[in-house]
Amino acid sequence: MSLEIINAPIFATVQDKGRFSYTSIGVTNSGVMDEFSYEMANKLLGNNKEANTIEIAFSNVHFKVNAQTTLAITGASCEFFINDVLKTTWQTHNVKAGDIIKVGKILEGTRVYLSVKDGFKIEKEFGSNSTTIKENLGGLDGDKLKKGQVLAFDSYLQAHNTRLKEKFIPKFTNELELRVLLSYQDDNFQQEQIDKFFSSTYTITNEFNRMGCKLSGEAISCDINGIISEGISFGAIQIPSDGQPIILLKDRQTIGGYPKIGSVLSIDCFKLAQAKPKCKITFKPIEIKEAQEKLKEFYLAFN
Amino acid sequence: MEFKLASVDSLIIYFGNEISQDVASKVKNAYLSLKKQNCEGIIEIIPSYSSIFITYDIFKYNYDEVKVKLQESISEESSDILNENIVSIDVYYGTDVGLDLEDMSIKTGLSIEEVILIHSQKLYDVYAIGFLPGFAYMASVDKKIAMPRLSSPRKSIPKGSVSIADTQTAVYPQSSPGGWNIIGRTALELFDKNLDSLSPLSVGDKVKFNPISKEEFLSQGGVL
Repeated sequence: MSLEIINAPIFATVQDKGRFSYTSIGVTNSGVMDEFSYEMANKLLGNNKEANTIEIAFSNVHFKVNAQTTLAITGASCEFFINDVLKTTWQTHNVKAGDIIKVGKILEGTRVYLSVKDGFKIEKEFGSNSTTIKENLGGLDGDKLKKGQVLAFDSYLQAHNTRLKEKFIPKFTNELELRVLLSYQDDNFQQEQIDKFFSSTYTITNEFNRMGCKLSGEAISCDINGIISEGISFGAIQIPSDGQPIILLKDRQTIGGYPKIGSVLSIDCFKLAQAKPKCKITFKPIEIKEAQEKLKEFYLAFN
Repeated sequence: MEFKLASVDSLIIYFGNEISQDVASKVKNAYLSLKKQNCEGIIEIIPSYSSIFITYDIFKYNYDEVKVKLQESISEESSDILNENIVSIDVYYGTDVGLDLEDMSIKTGLSIEEVILIHSQKLYDVYAIGFLPGFAYMASVDKKIAMPRLSSPRKSIPKGSVSIADTQTAVYPQSSPGGWNIIGRTALELFDKNLDSLSPLSVGDKVKFNPISKEEFLSQGGVL
């Protein structure tokens, strides 16, 4: 009872919510880049919140189904085929032994999630299936998925398919406004630099991966060059000496010595995860009280 | 103790603004007191040279509440000074694995034996762990053998390499690119999936490097 990978994916990894409580010895949190799409797949399938998924970052990944199950595709909009018939994403589908599933061209957004009922049966490493390649942890073998690998699951047949209402399916645009909590070393940035940060438009560069997202645009200067290395949050915005912001994401290093002007609200990092190089980014300040309310609302919506 | 917002669900506590034993011991005591209490809703605790970074469950605490909770829980004073963990790391200091030993000998005007003796005599403090899983930043190396990072980092430093950068010393837990000066190699696993704690080192531990022969190194499973 499994899903077999029948072509060579460029970059697909097994992910879940992430690996927690090992950052003190340098193991990063990892986990899905776009939690909205991940949580929604689990909700559609009636999965528990820990269930794992396959995060697909480039077009064309093909699978052969070896037993019946129910699956769902969420995340970036893509061509999705079952036995060469185009199917709808953001809804559950029953599949049976012998079916061929293809995630074809990614149309809008960057990361597609393929989830099955109750997740894949993979032994967790330190509480998680999330793959962090630089740490050789998680997934099937600490690495991205390869042709011929087999992902086991428990056979299942869902009586009714569920589908997300059209109005809730995210739209992926080429402009994104990210809400930012001023934090960390914000006192070491002059007010005019902070004003410049919030009034400028930045562009996502090609240096964008699971570790972080480098922007280009108006350089921001900081009164200090470096800091004593300290813990880095998800969404932290580093300002290196060239003044170009770097937003740190799921596979970020746990400690670092660049000054940070603040942190992007995690919900907005999930949107950023679906953006592409050349996308325009602007920042808008948010206060901690409102930010925490928004984040609670986000998670409660999936209960 | 100074609290500062980090992100929507995290904050950072500063215990000073310098790298020193005094600040490090405050960090260590606070870290141990926090770990001992195992507070519900505290998710990550990352101690470093002068700070502790914390993520928490926002369904359990808001920012003001977590600050109060942490203020109550943290003690900068040591509860048990005898509770000191000293880890001994066997090192083969040979020029075949200590790629920068000869260069360091020339730059410092010391013999290779003196460089090894100075490095292995001292007891080091683990100030932070990061960069790679199990990569422990230790200090302070005697100024006589302090050495800046290589101007051009190596593409691959072998696993187990014992290294120096300025007054810090560290062991590469896996092969990795890096710019530290390599003086020897250990067979000890610094990141071991079979260990419950994953790493034999944690922030606040003390480390002693113990010189061994090539034969001993090989018998411990060391790879040249």
